[in-house]
Order: sequence, then C-alpha cells, then structure tokens
Amino acid sequence: MKVINFYKLILVFAAALLVVSCVKDDDFDVPDTSVTAPNIEGTIITIGALYDALLQNENNPITFSETNSFISGFVVSNDESGNFFEEIIMQDNAVNPTRGVRILIDVSPLFTYVEFGRKAFVKLDGLTVGLSNGVMTLGIPNGNNFEKIPEAQLREFLIRDPEVASIEPKVISFSEFSNENINLYIRLNDVQFSFEDAVGDPKTFAGEPEDQFDGERSLESCSAGQTVVFSTSTFADFKSSLLPAGKGTLDGLLTKDFFGEEFNVVVNDPTTINFDNPDRCDPEIVDCGIAATSGVNVIFSDFFESQQANNPIAGNGWTNYAETGSQTWQAFFDDGVNASLGTSATIGSFMSGDDSTIGWLVTPQIDFDAQDGETLNFKTSNSFSDGSTMAVLISFNWDGVADNIPNATWSELPSAFIVGDEDFFGDWFPSGNVGLECVSGSGHVAFRYTGNGNEDFDGSYELDEIEIRSN
Amino acid sequence: MKKLIVTFFTIFLVSGAMLAQNSIVKGRVVETNSSEVIPSVSISIQASIFDAMTDANGLFLIEGELPQGEQVLLVSKSGFKSIRVPINILRGRPLDLNPILLDIDISAIEAQIGIISLSDNELDQDGGTAFNTSGLLQAGRDAFLNAAAFDFSATFFRPRGLDNANNKLLINGLEMNKQFTGRPQWGNWGGLNDVQRNREFSMGLSPNDNTFGDVAGTSNIIMRASQYRQGGRISYASSNRSYRGRIMGTYNSGLLQNGWAYSFSIARRFGDEGYQEGTLYDANSFFASVEKKINKDHSLNFTAFYTPNRRGRSTAITQEQRDLKGIKYNPNWGEQGGEIRNSRIREIEEPIFMLNHYWNIGEKTTLNTNLGYQTGTIKNSRIDNNGTQLLSTIDGQNFYAGGARNPAGNYYQRLPSYFLRFENPTAYNYQQAYQAREQFINDGQIPWNSLYDANIDALGNPSYSTYVIQDDVNKDNQFQINSILFSELTDNITLNANLAYRSLKSENYAEVRDLLGGNGYLDIDNFSQDASQDGSAEVAEGTLAQSDVRNPNRFVTVGDRYKYNFDLDVNVFSGFAQAQFKYNAVDFYLAANAGTTSYQRTGLYENGNFQGGNSSFGESEQLNFSTFGVKGGATYKVTGRHLIDLNAGYLTRAPSIRNSFSNSRQNNDVVVGLETEKTQNVDLSYIYRSPIVKARFTGFYNTMQDQTDINFFFTESVRDADGDGLFVQEVLTGIESRRAGVEIGIEAQITPTIKLKGAASMAQYVFTNNPNQYFTSDDFAGERILGDGTTKLENLHIAGGPENAYQLGFEYRDPNFWWFGVTGNYFSNAYIDVSTLRRNDNFANDTDGLGFNDYDPEIATQLLQQEQFDDYTLVNVVGGKSWKIKQYFVGFFATINNVFDTRYRTGGFEDSRIADYRGLVEESNRETSVFGNRYFFGNGTTYYLNLYVRF
Repeated sequence: MKVINFYKLILVFAAALLVVSCVKDDDFDVPDTSVTAPNIEGTIITIGALYDALLQNENNPITFSETNSFISGFVVSNDESGNFFEEIIMQDNAVNPTRGVRILIDVSPLFTYVEFGRKAFVKLDGLTVGLSNGVMTLGIPNGNNFEKIPEAQLREFLIRDPEVASIEPKVISFSEFSNENINLYIRLNDVQFSFEDAVGDPKTFAGEPEDQFDGERSLESCSAGQTVVFSTSTFADFKSSLLPAGKGTLDGLLTKDFFGEEFNVVVNDPTTINFDNPDRCDPEIVDCGIAATSGVNVIFSDFFESQQANNPIAGNGWTNYAETGSQTWQAFFDDGVNASLGTSATIGSFMSGDDSTIGWLVTPQIDFDAQDGETLNFKTSNSFSDGSTMAVLISFNWDGVADNIPNATWSELPSAFIVGDEDFFGDWFPSGNVGLECVSGSGHVAFRYTGNGNEDFDGSYELDEIEIRSN
Repeated sequence: MKKLIVTFFTIFLVSGAMLAQNSIVKGRVVETNSSEVIPSVSISIQASIFDAMTDANGLFLIEGELPQGEQVLLVSKSGFKSIRVPINILRGRPLDLNPILLDIDISAIEAQIGIISLSDNELDQDGGTAFNTSGLLQAGRDAFLNAAAFDFSATFFRPRGLDNANNKLLINGLEMNKQFTGRPQWGNWGGLNDVQRNREFSMGLSPNDNTFGDVAGTSNIIMRASQYRQGGRISYASSNRSYRGRIMGTYNSGLLQNGWAYSFSIARRFGDEGYQEGTLYDANSFFASVEKKINKDHSLNFTAFYTPNRRGRSTAITQEQRDLKGIKYNPNWGEQGGEIRNSRIREIEEPIFMLNHYWNIGEKTTLNTNLGYQTGTIKNSRIDNNGTQLLSTIDGQNFYAGGARNPAGNYYQRLPSYFLRFENPTAYNYQQAYQAREQFINDGQIPWNSLYDANIDALGNPSYSTYVIQDDVNKDNQFQINSILFSELTDNITLNANLAYRSLKSENYAEVRDLLGGNGYLDIDNFSQDASQDGSAEVAEGTLAQSDVRNPNRFVTVGDRYKYNFDLDVNVFSGFAQAQFKYNAVDFYLAANAGTTSYQRTGLYENGNFQGGNSSFGESEQLNFSTFGVKGGATYKVTGRHLIDLNAGYLTRAPSIRNSFSNSRQNNDVVVGLETEKTQNVDLSYIYRSPIVKARFTGFYNTMQDQTDINFFFTESVRDADGDGLFVQEVLTGIESRRAGVEIGIEAQITPTIKLKGAASMAQYVFTNNPNQYFTSDDFAGERILGDGTTKLENLHIAGGPENAYQLGFEYRDPNFWWFGVTGNYFSNAYIDVSTLRRNDNFANDTDGLGFNDYDPEIATQLLQQEQFDDYTLVNVVGGKSWKIKQYFVGFFATINNVFDTRYRTGGFEDSRIADYRGLVEESNRETSVFGNRYFFGNGTTYYLNLYVRF
C-alpha cells in the first residue's frame, strides 16, 4: 500500500517538476541584426552644403540647434585595424564624392556599428562643425574645442541606413591635394614609399622607436615627383608591418596632420596598398659621400652677387628653365628676418596659379676627368616650403639644349643636405662637401624645384654660394 | 548480538574486578519504528560527570563510581526527541537497558535540513566569496555552531578565520576537497540534502575516525543505503535568495530482509534570477545508493550522484555602481530576445561514483575500503571581446585586425566618474558624465544585439566573431582509494588508521561556447601582436601572438579548444594513525599523518610568448611535497557539568595546484620559493552543561607559514620600457598569518518551551610578516622584483568576513509541533582585501624608479589605511510546524532573513590597477574614484519556505 502511494506521489512530483521549473537554457536564437531604413524627419543637407556654410563663416565653428537638419553620407574610414580611433570619416557619395567630413565619437571600435561603405545619417542639432586638426569636423561643442559624441548618444546622432555601398575611390594626383578633397576616399596611382623608408632596411609603418603617436613616412609620386606624408597611428594593428618596396596604387584617405598644417595620406589598413610593381621610380643616384675637406682649386662658382635682383638668374653658363609652370629661378635681396646672402637665387610657386611648377637651374658643363677631388658646396634656405621640394641632380647625357632637360637622365646627389620644411626659414644651411670624385666624364649639375600653385605646395627655396672645387 | 552482549559482560566483569567499587550502566539505543540502532547518541547521568556515546552498533557503557540509587539517564541526539530514563543504580548490579527507544523528531530534522539547504545557497557561490563550510556542517552541535551556520553565514563569516581549504570534507570516507583549490566543490552534491543528514563532524583538530583532518574541522557525510531510515520524503521550497524553487523527492528502502537496501533521491532547483539580477539557477540532482549486507561481517555499498547545475554569476561592484543601480545590480547580464542572458555562467557536471566495503574483522575491528571515481567538467563562461581576422599585405605580411572594448555596462570608461576624472571638469565633461549616468541607470547591461551585429555582416551573413563566449574548462578524471581501520584495542583505547591514494588528471583549456552569430574565431592573442620589442623572448618571426605556435592561426568554432590547453597530473599518497584513550575523568588522543603529493603540468600548446625547450610545451618540472602532521588533545571532566578540552597540532600541507604554477595558462613556470604550508593550531575550551544551561567558551590560536598566493591583473604600476601598464601575475610566497580569538556559545532552556541563545566570536586575523613578492608577465622575461621584493602586509587584517560576530536569540517550541525563533546578530571588524601591489616599495616611486618628489609619508599612510567596513545588525526569524496525518508527516519550515532590510557590505577588495602614490592621490582627490574598491553587498530581506511530506 505504501509503495503504491509512493509511486502516485512520484508521478505528481514529476509532473510538478515539468510544469513549474523551466529555466531559460543557453540556446539563444541569433537575433535579427538587419538595419531597417530610418525615417529621418528633418531636412537632409549635403556635406557640401555643410562645407560651404563653414567656408562662408570663415571657418569659424557653427553650432546647430533647432534646425532639425541631418547630413547623409557613406562611411569611408574603418577602425578595425586601429588606424582610426573614436572617429569616422564620411563622404557624400559612394562614387565621385565631392566633400567629406570627420565625426568624433567616443566609441571604440566603430566598425562593428558602421562598417566601410555604410550609408548613415548624422543629426546636426547639438553638434558643431568647424576645422579641427585642419579638417572639417563634427563634434560636441566645448568652448573652442570639438569633443566626441558620448557613447550613450551614438545611436541618437549617427543613424544607420541599410545600404552598404561599394566605395569607388576618387583618383587624384598629388597636385589635387586640396581642402575640398580632404576626408575623401582617394586613389593615388603610380606611387611608392621613399627609397630611404622602404628599400634596403625598410621601416615599419609605425613601429620605429622614434614614432610617437604617428609614424610619418614619405610617399612619392612617380609621375609628379612630389611627396606627401603617409601617416599611421602607433596603435594600428599593422604598425609593425614593413613598408612595401615596390610601386603601384594606394587607396586611402586624404587628411591633414595633427597640427592641421600638412596634407597626410592615411590608409584604413595596408591591404589597399597595391605596390605590385617591383620597378621603383627612384631617380638614379650618384653618391660619392661627403668629403672631409674641399680642395683649393675653384672649378665653378656663383655667389649670385652680380645678378640683378628680381630678374631671372642668367649668365655664368647657367641654364634657367621652366619645365612646367610660370616660375623660374630669380635673384633676390632681403636684409630682414628672412635675409639673403647678399644677392641670392630663389624660386617658389606662391600665387603662381600653376598646376605644376618645375624649375631648373643648370650649371655649365664640367669635365670631371681634368682634375681630382671634386666637391660641390652650396647653401639653401626656405620660406614655408610645405609640400614643394628641391633636388640637386647631375646628368652626363644632357645635350645642353634647354628643352631637352626633361629628357636627359638626371641622378640625385643624395649626400647633399637641402633645407627641409621643418627647418627655420631664416637660416641658411650648408650642403656639406658633396663629393664628386667618383664621377667621371663631363656633366651638368642642376637644382630643381617642384611645386604647384596650391597653397600646400607653393613654398619657396633659396640657393646661394655654389662652388665646385678640386684639389 | 547476543555474542556481543556476552562480550560486554565479560569486559564489565573484568573491569569490575579491577575497579571493585564501580557500577555499570549499559545499553543499546534503537529507533522506535525501524528498530535500527542509532550511533552517536549522547547518554549521561543527570547531575554527574558520567556520560558516554553510543557506538556504531548503538551500544554504550558507563562505568565508574556512579551515584547510587534513583537517577535519571539523559538520552539525546540531534534529530531525535530527547528522553529521560529513570534508573536505579546499585553497586555490583550492572544495569542493562536494551533497548532504549528514541523517536525521530521530524521538526528538528526538517529544521536541520532547512539549515543545510539555506547554507547551500552560500556554499554554492563563487570561490571568491570565500565562505567557510565548516560552520554549516556542524549545525546542531551547540549554540555557537548553530549561529555560525544559520545566522552568520550570510556575511562571509569564517569560523576562526579559516579558509574552506582548511576544512576536510569526506563522503563515505573519501576526501572531497579539490586538489586544484583545496576546497570542497559543494555543487557536486547540491540538492541532495535529504540524503546528507548523516554527518560525522569533528570540530577543529579533535579526533575523527576516518582521517587526520584539518584545523577548521573534518566532516564525513554518510551516504549509504543501509543507513537511511525506511520511508520517503517530498518537499517543495521557495526562496528569493539563489533559487526560486526547489522540488525534492527521496525514497529509502531501509535494510530489507534479504540484506539489500536502496535509496534514491532526485531534486530540481530553479530560478530565472536570485536576489541578484540575472543570476539564473538551473540544477538537477540525482542520487542512488544500493547496499547489500552480504553477511554479518561484510557489506558492500555502491553510491553514485550526479548533480549537473548551471548558475548565472554576479560580481563585486564599486560604491559608485551601487549608488546608481542598487545592491541587486549585476553587470553580467543583458537582454536578448526579451530574455535575460547572463554572460558568466558556471556549469558543473561532475558525477561521483563510489564503492564502499565494510568489513567487521573481529568483534572490535572494522576495515572500511572505499573506491571513488569522479569525472566531468566545470565550465565558467565569459565574453571574449578580442576576436580578430588575419589580414595580409600584398607582399605577404600578416597582421591581425579587430578586437573591441569590453562591452560590460559597468566598464570604467562608461561610468560618470571616468568623465570627471580630471581636476577641473569642463561643461562638456559634465555633459558626458550626465549622459553616462543616464545610460548606466537606464541600461548598464550587456548589449547582446550589438555583439551579434558586430559578428554579422551587412548582408546578414556570419563574419568572423569579434565577440564570442568563452568557457574556461576544467575537466577532471579522479580516482581514489582508501582503507580505514578502526579497532578497539581495549575498552579504553581505540586505534584509527588509514591509507589513501588519489590520482587526478585534470585537463584545463578554453573552449568556444558561442560564436554569437559569427562563423569562427581566430586563435591568437591580440595583445601580444607587437609586444615584446624588448627582445625578452626568442621567437620566430610573427609567432608571438600565437596561442599554439605549432598550429598557428587556427580558426576555431563552437566546441573547439583554444587560447590555452594543458594537463595537470596529481598523485597523492597519505597515511594516518590515531589512538584515542577514554577514561573516567579524562579522554585523550594522539594522531599523526604523513604523505607525499606530486604535481606536474604538461603543456599541449606552445605559447607564442614562451617558445622553445619546455617553457610552455611539454612537461614541467615535477613538484614533490612531503607532508606530515601531528596532533593531540585531551578532555578533562572536572565534574559532569564542567569540562575542559584542549587540542593542539602541527601540520604541513602541500600548496594547492593553483598556487604552484605561477602562470599555468601560458607556461610551465613553477612558483619560485614554493614550500609546503605549515600550520600550528591550539584551542582550549571550557564546556558547561547543566539540565538548563549549555555553554562553551573556546580560545583559539592558529598560525600559518609559507603560504603562497597568486593574483592576475592589469596594472598601470608595473610597467614596460615605455612606461605603459602591463598584465602581470603577482606571486606572493612565505606568507605568515595568525588567527586568535574566543568563541562563546550559550543556550538556556528556561522553560520546556522557551530557549534563550547567545553566541559570540571575537578574534583578530592578521598577517604577521611581509611576504616575498615577485611579478611575471608575457611582456618581460623572468621574474621582476619591486623595491626590496616584499610587500608590507604585517599587521594588516586578512579579509574574510567579520572578525567579531554576536548573537542573541530565543526559540519557542510549542508542544503542538510548532515553533519559531528570532535572532539578532551584530557584526563588526570586517576588513577589505588589500592590494598587495600597493604595499611594496614601488608605491613611492615614479615611472623612472626614483621616488616621487611630492611624496608625503603622512598622506601615504592615509592612502594605505586598510578599510574597515561599517558594523551592522541583522535580525532573522525562523519558524515551522508539522502535522501527522495517518502515516504521513506534513510540515513547513520558513525563515525571513534580514527582516529590517539592512544594507551592509560583506566583503570587498582594492583594485591593483592604480597602485602608486601619485595615482592614489589623484584617485583620492576625485569626487568618485575611477578604480575604487569593489564590494560585495549583503542581501536585503529574503525568505525561504519549505513544505514537506514524509512517509
């Protein structure tokens, strides 16, 4: 009897177990993560309109409130590899973009919310647009600063659209680096990292001991002979990868350095660097090193004292040739802060309006077999050289006809020191005793300026006290 | 049986001849209904010093110069109704009381089961709460132990300040303490309360028949089919502490005519959340035992239990979080599909099987041989937010892109304090703080949908997982065998001895539990991607980040092992011998044990940070420890009312595996300077027993040396060459400590129905030296020492519940089978667990290793002051009633704890992230510190209700 009762009880017990005691197991369904099209109730303005408004306000910040306006665009930055941090870059169109904007957001990572190519809307009310680090930026106003949108408000300010577009990079040349093209996803064709950075003992992207915050490398255009700073965060996942040695195309973003002074090119990650052509476009070089002393015998010399200020350099065997653009080497005199050395030579593209300015100053032919221990000495100074460059070159096959200069083979003299953008504009820097003893035959030495009328490439260089000596 | 009685007679006659003036009272105690003998029944002659306990056969014997004439014999055992038997003692006429019948006190049993159930809640919690079981196992023994088990347990109170690892727990004579931590894994038998009522407990070092034991006491739970009274029990419990409901059913056959006995019990405990948010409880328990009494000398028992359980964990939180979210806040869960999902689940599935042989070798000798086997897994889950993908440059260089920030709602960078961390917060900072505050108050949980979103691409297809759920798995296979000898050498002398062997193979690895919508996880350590430019490790190009250099860049999916994978092999041999002497005025004992323990780690992965040789792959050095212990003690019966009890011992113990390998997940490194732990322990008690008052006063003094501790954390105060913080292992060795204090328990049965109770523990648990300290990390080679290589712990308190606890209470027990009780409990002198990193010489040093130029020793002293928690009072109410309906007993048992919903801290710890003077000054200047102490908060008002039917 007892046993029967017991079994009854067990039955009741088992039933009760089933009824009352369910606990959610660990098998959760994958939630629906698809994005539904947002219903933006407000005015959608273009990023271009934002840009124009800022320009009209003389780049003074504009804070939005009660405008009920939004911008729309496509995300072209990707922080997955850590090269962007707590910001996204959006441009107006997936194809043929015209304007882009940076948006500061206190969230990391962001690619898990807005991936590359994602269309999104940004609510403007509560944000400020202005120039921060030299680029158009949207952020939370804080006095004169731009701050990040708090994490809690991410979805309020940045609203996703279901569309993820395929972004077609905008192909531009170095001369097209401009404020308009900033924050756009661009393609640079026929480029390479500088010989010094990428060949022999190549540098890492940003893992060198001297790299602080960013690793800055020199990216060169083969076609234009220009360079731009290629910048990588020291927090990037690929910071320890080595720079590729070849040349080819590079897709990335055009931006500015931290101080907003210089154009920078940045990649989302190095998979968009397609330097698959091993044939670099480095100029030939002639490197006899630096000589300990220079000889007593002067083969060629010009201190420009006999030149007429504000007139092109002429005479003394010089060929003064404008390969492109409107500028040539000129004599000038200045006794102010940016003093000349008596009369000196200068060239620059400031206010030139040139798309490209390449100016040559070439010595008469010199026979390097007639004596021993030749050295070259000169001094350079600059005035806001920015992205413009100056090179000292030598050729043994130029026929002496000015128009044939671009067709001749010119080799760089890498031992010569030439003033850099970071050097103080008032100072003159000696080149050092650039050795030419290893050279044989007859040739011409040339000073070549490369720049353009763009304000970031329109710098000036000054040149003086040129001497070629021998023992 | 007759033979036994004859034997007893013979003994009595012999002893009678030796002690001519002696009288003898003897007998046998059996249970009224089942006629089963009852062991461990306390028998005493009222108002005299003469007492005895029944042995395993229910027999007792009192002899000596007994008071003559009409006396009262008190017969009592917890769980039975006490009786008073009038007897007439006459010299030369031995009195044989056979049988003495005892009735089971159902309500007392229920109360005891209730206490056990309640306490299980505490025991089931994470090891981190460091609760000590010893008190619980002693419930019912005296007023202090009851208080400790029932009322002090909610506060991390640890009797005598001892850790669980100092408490040996046996089931059927087999040790259940885990080799990895030294502590019993209570979850392995949770829910089997009905079949765990038979417990033999030895307090402190007092003698135990099965084993040498340890300083916090020894318990043996007897789970043998033949030892359960015939009948069944079904109960339902409801609570809001850990589980919401528990349903439990048990049936025992008792010993059947054919010599068989069987017992089984099943239980289910469940709840979507306990007192803390999101702490789900999902536990099933199965128990079966079959015993065959082969003949009068041999009995064979098989016991198996399997208690798979799954629990959602909570964690310690800062005061800032508590203020914003309350004491129930648990950051570990988030909502998914309208359900609560906890990211930190502990899942235990470790069935235990045992075979026990009981052999009566002669009249007075038994040999108990036990085989045990345990297998299964303990899994602890958590979110891994560092999923990456392997990308290659066009020239074939690999790098790993991805990784994400900790998604927890209470991550420090999401809390208001983080935005106000600078000295003069701007309007924007206040705005950020406000937004963070709103977000935290309104949500503050895990955003599951965002995690899935990150793992699924725009087209809805799975991509690589940035976030996965990881299980840390501990998969054990343990085999045990022991033999326990019990022999009555003479009437006064018993001998106990055992030999035991334990072999454990433990597999330890991480496993992918859930890819959260993604299609796989790249098994690399993103943090090691470009670390180690210090050249500390000889590594092949690009392998530093590999979990296993031999199988690089594995893309793992659900169920795959990853990150770390190693085996631990353990072998323990031990032996013990003990002699117990019992005389009229004094009982005493002596015991000794000896053993060897060996550990070896075998790495199955070659970690990228530790390549070559056996540094991470293959076998580690084999660690061997020889251990021994001696103890002795005496009970002196001044009179029947006054007893003095003394126990003293010295023992050594192998360190737990956890404390032997300094970084077992990554390499084979053995703790430098590892020694066996040493313990000295003495306690002295005065026990007073009168028919009305029972009291115990105990003073205890315990010291330990050569203990080891290992902590893992990220800190900004151990730095790399660039001055950046590191993830480190902090190893402490040679820790010395002292626990000293008094325990008091008094109860007075002032009327037959009313009992007053009082209990107190006043003690001090402190470190007594400055232990050695060193650091290891995968970011630098070898061991690093800061300052003089010690951490200044001397005279700091050991964390672990209140040092002082007091109770006053009363119980009313109505003759009509209902009862209730109230206790008031007061706690003080609980201390925070200090950061040992803060307390080395490096505290005063800047990143360049030179002293801070603004260092002020007075401020430093203030900053390093160990926090003492506020005192608090908890009031608990308990009650119950039972009815007998035909052959059924029906009843309930209920408690309300913390009736007044008092808020209190049970424990907490300092953060080691900021551990230098300047950092702490900065922290102290903040209105709310960013890396503040983290606390465990005690529950508010909670209830427990249990309804049962017995038959």
